[in-house]
This record gives sequence, C-alpha cells and structure tokens, in this order.
Amino acid sequence: MLLLGIDVGSTTCKYVLTDKEGNILDKAYERHNTRQAEKVFEFLLRLEERYGFKKGKDRVYITGSGGGLIGNLIGARFVQEVVAVATAVERLHPEVRFVSEIGGEDMKTIFIKEKGGRKNKQVYMQNVCAGGTGTFIEKIGRKLRIPPEVLSTMEYEGYTLHRISSKCGIFAEADVNSLLKAGVPSEEIIASLFEAVVYQNLAQLTKGNIPLPKVLLLGGPNLFFKGLQSAWRVNLQRLWKERGVGDFTKEQMQELVFVPENSLYYASLGCIYTALEEEGGLYAGHEKLRWWVEEGQYQEKLKEGKGGLVKSKEELEEFKRKYSYVVENRIVPKKVQEVIIGCDFGSTTAKAVCITPQKEIVFSCYALSKGNPIEDAKEIFRQIKEYLQEGKVLALGLTGYGKDLLKDILGADVAIVETVAHATAGLHFFPDADCICDVGGVDVKIMIIRQGSVVDFRLNSQCSSGNGAFLQGVAERFNIPLWEIADKAFCAKAMPSFTMGCGVFLQSDIVNQQRKGWKAEEILAGLCYVLPFNVWVYAGGINNLAEVGKKFILQGGTHKNLAVVKAQIDFIKARVPDAEIYVHPYSGEAGAIGAALIALEHYQKHQKTSFRGFEAIEKLTYRSTTSKETLCHWCPINCQRTFIDVYVGEGEGRQWSKVPLEPGWTRLIVNNACPKGLVEDERELKVIKERIERLKDEFPNIADFVKKEAFRNPARAKVS
Amino acid sequence: MGIPKFLNIWGTHQFWVGFFQALGVGKVVFSSDTSEEQYRTYGKGRISMDSCYPVKALAGHIGELLQKDINLLFVPMIYSLPSFLRGHVIDSLSCTRVMMSVENIKAGFLRERDEFKERGISFVSPFVPFGEPEILPKYLWESLKEVIPNLSFEETAKAVKEGFNQLEAFEKRMREKSLEIIRWCVRNQRPALLVLARPYHMDPGIGHEIDSEFQAYGYPVLWYNYLPLEDWLLNWLFEEDLRKGFIKSPLDISDVWTSSYSANTNEILWASKFAARFPWITGVIRLSSYECGMDQPTFTPVQRIVESSGTLYFKFGELDETKPAGSVKIRVETIVYYLEKYSKDIIEKKLKRLSPIPKLLVDFSPK
Repeated sequence: MLLLGIDVGSTTCKYVLTDKEGNILDKAYERHNTRQAEKVFEFLLRLEERYGFKKGKDRVYITGSGGGLIGNLIGARFVQEVVAVATAVERLHPEVRFVSEIGGEDMKTIFIKEKGGRKNKQVYMQNVCAGGTGTFIEKIGRKLRIPPEVLSTMEYEGYTLHRISSKCGIFAEADVNSLLKAGVPSEEIIASLFEAVVYQNLAQLTKGNIPLPKVLLLGGPNLFFKGLQSAWRVNLQRLWKERGVGDFTKEQMQELVFVPENSLYYASLGCIYTALEEEGGLYAGHEKLRWWVEEGQYQEKLKEGKGGLVKSKEELEEFKRKYSYVVENRIVPKKVQEVIIGCDFGSTTAKAVCITPQKEIVFSCYALSKGNPIEDAKEIFRQIKEYLQEGKVLALGLTGYGKDLLKDILGADVAIVETVAHATAGLHFFPDADCICDVGGVDVKIMIIRQGSVVDFRLNSQCSSGNGAFLQGVAERFNIPLWEIADKAFCAKAMPSFTMGCGVFLQSDIVNQQRKGWKAEEILAGLCYVLPFNVWVYAGGINNLAEVGKKFILQGGTHKNLAVVKAQIDFIKARVPDAEIYVHPYSGEAGAIGAALIALEHYQKHQKTSFRGFEAIEKLTYRSTTSKETLCHWCPINCQRTFIDVYVGEGEGRQWSKVPLEPGWTRLIVNNACPKGLVEDERELKVIKERIERLKDEFPNIADFVKKEAFRNPARAKVS
Repeated sequence: MGIPKFLNIWGTHQFWVGFFQALGVGKVVFSSDTSEEQYRTYGKGRISMDSCYPVKALAGHIGELLQKDINLLFVPMIYSLPSFLRGHVIDSLSCTRVMMSVENIKAGFLRERDEFKERGISFVSPFVPFGEPEILPKYLWESLKEVIPNLSFEETAKAVKEGFNQLEAFEKRMREKSLEIIRWCVRNQRPALLVLARPYHMDPGIGHEIDSEFQAYGYPVLWYNYLPLEDWLLNWLFEEDLRKGFIKSPLDISDVWTSSYSANTNEILWASKFAARFPWITGVIRLSSYECGMDQPTFTPVQRIVESSGTLYFKFGELDETKPAGSVKIRVETIVYYLEKYSKDIIEKKLKRLSPIPKLLVDFSPK
C-alpha cells in the first residue's frame, strides 16, 4: 500500500508519496499558475504510471486552500492545513516552540507550549491581504527587475534599512518607488523588504506571545530567500535578548532558527502522518477529476457567474437615454466679458474652468503636470488668456494639492480644500444631496453632507482597490481603449464574480478567471460590478448605506464610464431602494468648478480680487535649486527635493535657510514624497512652531491647561 | 511610587497627587504621555486580547515605569468616577473594559516570568469606587497596608479627603478658565469649539491633539468635562426646559439619556445639551477611539442633539495608534471652512432662542 499526501496551495501544489511505513519514495513542488485541478491531475497520472498508484488500494490525504474540492473528486480525506503542518512538526521536531510558515498568499504562525507534559498549540493565520506573503516579495522583486534566482541569494545583514510599509502590497510598491527615486540601491531595498516581512509576521501573528526557541521556518519564501532567514535570526536574536529569553551568538541562532529538510512539504507530510494514524482516504481514481478539468469547471463557471450588467437591450437603452449625457457633455467655450476662474492643481493634471457671475460654465482646459507647479500654472493661464482675450477676471479660486503653494504666487482669492471644492460643485447642481461620491483616477472620496456642510468624508487611504486607474490598467492589458470600456462591458451576457478587496489579489483573481475561460469584456463587466463594493465598503468602510442618506451624487472622472455608473446605481438602489442618484454633468471638472463658485462668493462679498493678471504670471521669474542642501531629512528616505523660488515682490523671505531667500521672494518645495517634506527643515519647523505657539496663547485650549497642571506634583509635607 | 498616566487617571490625577502627598510616600512618578514609541518599545507583544488602543497603550506605560527608579507601581482599577453630575444621574461608573484593563495588561508582564518581582517592584491595583467615597478609604487601605509599613486606616481616610480637596480645587480652576474663554468669545463676538470625548483623549498619543489644530485657525477650544457650572449661566441656557418641566435641574439629562450609568457618557450627553444651547459654541468636535463600545450608542443621540440647534458637528471616530496626519489636515481645513462660513449665523440663530444675555457674561471685566 502507498500513501500520498497532497498540498494544494495558492501558488503551488506539492505532494509526498511514501510506503506504508511512511518512508518517502517521491516528492514534488510545482507552481500551478492558478490551475490547481490540472496540476493535481497531472500529479496523479504521473504517480499511477511511475509507482502504480492504484485506485481502491492506495490511500490519499489532501490539504491546502484548494484541497477540499479536489479531494472530494478523488476520494481523498481532507486535513486542515494548519493541523497538517502542526502534526508534522510535532512528529519531526518535538523541541520546536514556534513555527512560521509563509506561503504564496498567506502566512501562519504556530506557538507550541508545553504545560505538564501536554502540548498546547496556538495558531494564527492571515490570508486576506498580500502584505508579508510570498506574492508581496515577488512583486517587489519584479518591480526592481531582479530575477528570482538572484533575489533568493540576496542578503539582509550589513545593509542600511529603510521603511517599507508591510501592510499593503500596493503601498509597499509606492514606498519602493520613492526609495528608487531617491537613488537607494536595490540591495538595500530588498534587505528592507525582508525586514518588513518579518515585522509584519511578528506584528500581526504573535498576539502577545513571544516566539521561543527553537524556531522552525517553513514554506517557499522562508526556504528560498536567504535574506529572509537572516532577517528572522537577527530580529529574534534581538527580541530574545530584550525579553531575557537568552543572549545568543550568531552561530547559536543558526541552530535555533532553522529551515529543515523537506521544509516545503510539511503540510503534505502532515497528511501522511495523519494517514498513518487512521484508516480511510482510499483513492477513488482520477476519472472524476478528469471530468472536472475538461468539463465540470466550465459548467461551474456559468453557474457561479452572474448575469451581465444589464438584463435586456431595453434596459440598456433606457439607462443610456437617462445617463448618456455623462459622456457626451462637454463644456463649450462661450465668449463673455467677465469670468471667475477656478483651478484644480492635482498631482497628475492641472484643470481650470471659467464661470460667469451667473454661474454659467463657459470654458475649461487642462495641462498634464510636468512636476513644476509654476510651469503648469503658466500653461493653464496661457490657455485661459487665449480664450478670454480682453475679458476681465473677477476672481480666482484654487483647490487641489498645489493650492497652498500657488495661492500667493498667482494672487488667488481663495485656496479651498478639495473636499469643500468637490462638495460645493456637487451641491450647486443638486442641492440637498446627502452624499457625494467622487471616484477619480487614483483616489476615492466619499463626502457626507448635513446642514450644507461636509461633516464627514472618507478618502481612500487604506489601499488602492476601487479606483479608476486599476480598471484602466486592466483594460490596457486587454488592448481596450479607455472610451470603449463601458460598451465592451455592456456587451457581456455574463460575468465572473470577483471578491472585493486587495488590489494585489484582484490581479491574480483576474488571471484565474481568464484561465476559466472568461473573456476580456466579461472580466471588465465583472470589475465594473465589483467597483462599488470596493469604493463604498472596502475603501470607504461604509456598510450601511441607508444611514448615509437618500440623495447621492456621483462625480469624478471614473463616472464618465457608464458601465461603472450602472454598477453604482444598481449597488446603491439595492441598499437604498428609494435613493435618488445623480451623476454630475461635468464629472471630471468638479473640483475646479467648486473652486470657481467659492471664488465667486468671495468676489460678491468683497468686490475685488488679488489676481496678479496674465502678464504677471507669464513673466514670473523663478530659480530652482536641487542640491545637497535641498535634501529632505525628515525620514531616512531623504527625498531629493527641489526648491522653486519665485519673485512676488512681497514677504519676508527665508534668511535662516540653508538656501537663503531674500525678502520679496517666496519658496515652493516640490518632489517631496509626503506632506512632511513641504517643511524645509528643523529651522523652518521652529519658525512655524513659534507662530503656532503665539496663536495658541491667543486662542487657548482647556486641554493645554489640564496637561500643564493635572500631573503637577509638588513635594509637600505629610498631613499629620 | 509610579502611576501610569492612562485611561481614568486622566480625570482623577490630582486626587492621587493629593492622596499620596498626604500619605507622605515620596514623589509620585507619572509615566509620559502615550506615544507610538512608548508603545513599540515597552508595550508591543504583551497584549493578548483585542481591545481599543487606549487600553492597549497601558502596556507601554507600565513597561516604561518598570525602567524608572520606583519600588511601588500603583495601577488602580477604577470602578466608578467622581462626576459633577452625581445626584442627577443613576450612577457614575467607568467602562468595565477600562477597569479590567489593569488585570489584562498585567498578565502580559507575567506570562513568561514575573517582571515586577524581578525588578523588586510591588504591583498594587486596588478596586476604586469613587462613586462611593465612604467606602473608598477601606479599599485603598487594604491594598496599601501590605506595601506601606505602619499605614493606619485613619491616615488613609484623611488622605482620601485631601485627595478629593485637591481634585475639586483643580477642577474649579479649569472651569474658571473655561468661563474666561467664554467671556472672551462674547466680548469679541467670536465662536469657540467644544470637544466631546473621554478624559484620556487629552493625552497627545490617544487624541492626537486634533483639537489643538483649530487654535491655529483662531478657535479657542473648550472641553466637555470642564465647562463652567455657574447657576446664572446654566439657568439662562436651560430656562425654557426647566419652565416646561422637561428637566428637574440644569444638570438633569433624563430627557435625552435614560440609562445614565456611565460617568463619561453622562457628561458627554450633558455637554452636548450645553453646546446645543450656548450660542458661541458653533462647532462640536467628537473624538472617539476605534472600537469604543461605550461611545457607539451615543453617536446618534449626541449628533442629533447638537445638530438640532444648527450647531455644526464633526466626528473623528476610530482614532488609533497612529495619527492620520494627512487626513486630519484635510478634515480640519474642511471644518474650518464651514465654521467660518456659518458661525455668525449660528450665533445669531441660537441667541434668538434665549432670553437676553446675562450681565455676568458680558459686563465682567477680565483680570
């Protein structure tokens, strides 16, 4: 009799074949490229041929995330994966107290404690986010164009470590990007990445337990990446010393934290050891699995898929009649004498609109950002000037990332925070709205309105899932241009169901669905369908939409895609049946329109503007400095910033700066990766702090008094 | 003597200072404010249960104090709190999670070995019913007599009295400060903000100093637990409710909150009524820590009470370990925009509902 233990993981399949005593005859570890069933089928044929693995005689046990379904088809007995690993560890290494197993898309820790001769196991696992898993490491490796075989030999010790977010794979990529931009060598980035993975495992999966020696490292990443092993040893050495577990030498650590032989096969071995202890799992042959591989899974595809975004031609036509203005609407330039300008300086594009004092929108233009806000502004104002000719500018309002930088330089009357600008634009067209949902290319904003004010909002800061760029990226890979996404998606009669959540997993899910035979347009439809889930639930954290209100406004560039609009409407209606849903007529320009409307209010109140005029903007003189002196030192990334100094004829300059600025000039700081970099250095921080302290004295806070006095503790004599 | 600066120590601080001074046990060493660094260095990995961050942060405070030169670590399990609403509400209990946090966090220092014993520090954590001052000395004496030689019950009882005196004097000073701010608002026709939170949100590592951001924009900040309680002021604000018989006294909250058991919750509800009526409070900032089960049921009533008067209400819920710096900046700018836009109207609207402004609010000349 032969025993077979199969482990069907998220990226690989493994098996171990033994004789009836459990002596290993054969083993394999192969990637399945999302074809789990096919891989197992291939294994079975191979084993039948080479070893005469026989139906009705030999036994098979199965484990892993994909094991349940396949197991049923071949008569295998299913063992839960953590149980399987723990069983193997206990049998092979009774001295081990802590196990880390890192897989392709999951990670687990097992704490084994001995109390009164009995072993007590505590297991923690996470499999919903890519942070800290093998996929996470590979993704960054690919980004840095480091081939896997090189990645596996790269070291951890001896390199300067940088901060890489281990929480979200997509954030980590952003961190890696800024490290690259700052010229950090890839060796250091990879070392930091190993640090992040160990940190993530310790932070998420220890829950107050201290990993004690000996420690066993299992799974592909722990075996393949030498640097990851060192990272574990260095971190555990430090932790054990701190917590008084022991002060171990480097050599001792090698022994105390180890990767065993067969470390890839512990789950499979656990199956074998379980099989040795019990009966059952008689192999039922490969026929049913063959049927599944060849036919069953495709039938299943149709069963599990949903109907398309629209049920009938009539439904689509009616929907389009109502909403096609979203795509067709254009701001048509119209000659007028007086305008109010609103500009939205985003991180990738700068947009502007002109409105009349009667709030009619008469012009719009945009410029792709070149990284220098002065040049971007000049470009925008050239276009406005060309349109306006001799017309007069009554007021200027700014919003977006660049608003504070440019306010004085352009002579704007108001610099409005994005939330208010977008809300004002939405409420202008649809007063009394309860909620505005703005989905742009790279960000999601949900604004909740009460009493005419934005009282709450969600910016997608958790992760990148739910934004328009993701959809666009997928379409590009299918060679479908942006403007055709919606029509393609509407063509789909059925669509695969995607799970809402992590963008990294969504990417692999797409590959998986493609393999099942879903076509490009069906996949796009499925992605449009899941987008509202990502926007509202995953990124926005809003589970009860009815609580938000009844009147919804959809705006932002992504809502120019009608398939997304349809999915949004169906999503909202399903949760708030009496909802009124509107799509902003100028989805992409909402920010600039809001800025213009608020500038108009300012004009109506004050009847004057501080706008510098087109000529002055065109003539703006500036000098840029990019040098050692402009490096940012707020964090170890050390962004190479650029200081753009502009002559505006007023202001006190920055005499204290390392790059001194004479009076009359003002400074813009660009190429910083985070808001912290907008402050030059400690010297400027001191200036800012002094200013804030003065204001704090003028406008007191009870908490400051409490903090100062409540813990005061004067020495006094004992009361007798 | 070390006392971690955690949870309900905020709110009872000066009691402990007065109490231990009276006992003459030497200087009380408080831990520093909560910080990510403190939590990472001393606290992480010691917490076994899922809990709100203010509770988890205690581990960092205890860990930090273990490094200090102390021989007694005093971490009270505060069961009920002193409250200005006592007598007008059913009870003034503290959150059970907050009370039990001491036991839970302590376990994290005993799991592998007894870290207190190792350092020669006695860990004392008495049961503290501030709501029943008459039995308070008994609990404190019983837990302290083991570690303070020759401590008598009478001494303890006297020290408790001294503690209350000190705490009351402190609160009085703070309420006077609030009144000063309020008078400044009236004089200058300027709005103020009110913070509704729990006392420990004053801790920069817990509340992340969100309230102080508004000072830079010209808004003084009042706190719900130190509002002025002068009769002439409260009678002016609650005049109509008293006349119509909705409430029995200005400190009565039974019209909006019937299950008035929790001290902090009661005070939050009362202060929201104050904010709804007081004209120069035009915006309310609600702070709440992630997964606070005590705050959850109060969100809707408090929001309704505040907004029904036209006062703006903004919530910073789900505060956690790290300050979400970027989003706080955007949120503060958003709030400031609407405060500037609507404050004047709000003050006028609220003034219309009240009888003429009391002389003591206007004619009082500042020091």
